[in-house]
Amino acid sequence: MPGKARKTPLKDADRDYLALGLEGSANKLGAGIMKHSKDGAATVLSNIRHTYITPPGEGFQPRDTALHHREWALKVINDCLTKAGVSMNEIDCICFTKGPGMGAPLQSVALVARTLSLMFNKPLVGVNHCVGHIEMGREITGAQNPVVLYVSGGNTQVIAYSRQCYRIFGETLDIAVGNCLDRFARIINLSNDPSPGYNIEQEAKKGHRLLPLPYATKGMDVSLSGILSAIEAYTVDKRFRPEGGTKDEDIITPQDLCFSLQETVFAMLVEITERAMAHIGSKEVLIVGGVGSNERLQQMMGIMAQEREARVFATDERFCIDNGIMIAQAGLLSYRMGYKTPLAKSSCTQRFRTDEVHVAWRA
Amino acid sequence: MTISISQSLIQSSLPISQGAEAKVYKAQLTPDSPPILLKYRFQKNYRHPFLDANLTRSRIAGEARALLKCLRSGINVPGIRMVDATEGVLGIEWIEGHSVRKLLPGGAEDDGSDDVDNVDVIDSVNLNEYGVSVDELMKLIGVEIAKMHQVDVIHGDLTTSNMILRQPGSFVPPQNHDIKTALVLIDFGLSYQSTLAEDKAVDLYVLERAFSSTHPDSEPMFAKVLAGYAEIMAGDWPAIKHRLDDVRLRGRKRSMVG
Amino acid sequence: MELFRFNHYVAYALLFSPVNDPGQIKKRIIDAARATGSEGEEEREAVNFSFIDASLITSRLHLETAIHQAIIAESQGSLRTKTVHSEILFGLNPTNNITEAIRRYGVSETSKALLVVRITDSSNAISNLETKMKEVVSGIAVPFEELSKVTDWEKIEKYHKLPNEVTEKADVARARALIDNVAVSSVAMKSVVQ
Repeated sequence: MPGKARKTPLKDADRDYLALGLEGSANKLGAGIMKHSKDGAATVLSNIRHTYITPPGEGFQPRDTALHHREWALKVINDCLTKAGVSMNEIDCICFTKGPGMGAPLQSVALVARTLSLMFNKPLVGVNHCVGHIEMGREITGAQNPVVLYVSGGNTQVIAYSRQCYRIFGETLDIAVGNCLDRFARIINLSNDPSPGYNIEQEAKKGHRLLPLPYATKGMDVSLSGILSAIEAYTVDKRFRPEGGTKDEDIITPQDLCFSLQETVFAMLVEITERAMAHIGSKEVLIVGGVGSNERLQQMMGIMAQEREARVFATDERFCIDNGIMIAQAGLLSYRMGYKTPLAKSSCTQRFRTDEVHVAWRA
Repeated sequence: MTISISQSLIQSSLPISQGAEAKVYKAQLTPDSPPILLKYRFQKNYRHPFLDANLTRSRIAGEARALLKCLRSGINVPGIRMVDATEGVLGIEWIEGHSVRKLLPGGAEDDGSDDVDNVDVIDSVNLNEYGVSVDELMKLIGVEIAKMHQVDVIHGDLTTSNMILRQPGSFVPPQNHDIKTALVLIDFGLSYQSTLAEDKAVDLYVLERAFSSTHPDSEPMFAKVLAGYAEIMAGDWPAIKHRLDDVRLRGRKRSMVG
Repeated sequence: MELFRFNHYVAYALLFSPVNDPGQIKKRIIDAARATGSEGEEEREAVNFSFIDASLITSRLHLETAIHQAIIAESQGSLRTKTVHSEILFGLNPTNNITEAIRRYGVSETSKALLVVRITDSSNAISNLETKMKEVVSGIAVPFEELSKVTDWEKIEKYHKLPNEVTEKADVARARALIDNVAVSSVAMKSVVQ
């Protein structure tokens, strides 16, 4: 809860610490090296990512994604070490994503982590993907105790810290917002390069007609599946023109649909975030996750924050979109609190709620 | 006239509080009128204006409909006194009394406070003024929620702040009745219609959490609430009880694939 | 004369009980609506009131609420009927049927008591209003408080389709308080009825 400053249980580093972070819970494979120095600074030495991009109209399948991660793992990790200028021997711990995420891709990266751990005799630290996002966001932006909106392909959560736990105040009752956007991008055949969400954002800038869509907030939760069905229905409406048209005709363009989808879904997200902020009396909001790089979402959040005299913290695509460095950051924090994951317990889990993690490093 | 009727009314009203979505005022339509509570859903500039206007209108309509449905079914809720959906204003009956939160130990504390050891003795005395014991109050709560659930209205935000014990003498009490107060359910801003036992169970669970986070040693109190509820729900109770046990185990949320 | 002093408007209400020959009043209103020329204008001004069957009004608040909602509708250009005065009748009826609203709540051959209401901008005082009302309505003007003597609770309950089990269980005072609250609430939320 805000207002009460307690002493952090994390002791100052007695020396420099280095962590390798490996992430592969969805279609991004990432590796990063984080350094925590004696003076308290956290430095990103390297942060390398390779994305598995599928053709337009297709999503990424677990099996193919896992294959991609296996093919690229060595190159990405090598690049990451080279860029950082460190060798595996200098690393203190190997952090990997334990979950949540897609099973096969998670496992392929965990396998790499275990192998490295045995080869170089380094301890493993399993990291919750969502906590990785939050810790990286806090580190980069300097937000102290924000309400966190975590929005990505697999997650939609409103989170706030309370008593060594990232408590989930609100979340999606069905599909995640990124999933909703990605699936719609597939319906209208948008490119997956660099990401479907990015392309929706660009198309939305050209849309001007706001079409009615179900607006489903329920307390601090949202429901998004109804919106996806409703927006899909517009693509078979007789006014729908995939090729576009002039402004004054009574037609619906893909750009209008992208615009309407963003306006509606983001309004819902900002609303539940504001409700959480009002509930706990917070004056900070941090947006993390891939969808968090959307500028319209950041803008809407900014207006909301301004009106309640609060501040928005957001990161750019390097840290918003899944990456290895965030896993290194969260992993190193728990490693410094004495936490290690024994080999026998280094399995992955597709379901791993944010609030299950004991946030030992915060007061 | 440059300023709308409702805006002018708001300007001549007494501000009470401001939440995330609405500002609350105490107002009078005319100097000779009874006081009313205005709930002003002000514009949200982050939302597209068209979306914002539609949303405000539908939420005010939804809240008003839930209130009327409850009123018609004899549930103690505030009556509706004005609606201006275009301006985002809902006016309801002003209920003279205290919130249950304030009347129970621990509730006088500020929201979000970690420390609830400072039990306010003065407020317990307050409850005596209403002529009811804590047990009776708990039963009143259970009964009123049950009556609401019987007509398939789900409140959506049951807390001890959203219940008011009416000041004796501020309304017509039932004749031949010992209890001279009534428990009034307020703030139907998140309410909806549902026949599902699941939704009713979640409604109860939300209240249970509110009890435990606000009032120390709330367990026996909440048990009395459920007893009052069960009595009214009769045959419908076992299914809801079953659901409530489920919800308590998993929490309000389902586990989710990342 | 009962006054309702809203922020920018004033409404005047005069209660007639009993009222003589209500059928004649009704005829005059209908004729005025049809009349043409300057004579028509004058005649319409002469009956420019809301004529409400007083037996269907549960309380001062009930009437006040109907007037206030009609003023809001007029100010937003969203009147469902021709004038702010007929809008009061529309608002009083729980359904969206305008003809039914006028038939039920307006003056009819069987009206025993009438409420005559005039709404005006508060800067626009109307002189001799009471005389003008009495010129149209023949009957006995009584204090507003007499309203409670003419209320037809059974009919109001019927029009609002109130479930009997709720009102029957309660004693008379409570049942009436409930009916009044429902009636007032219905008028207040008329604009958002589905």
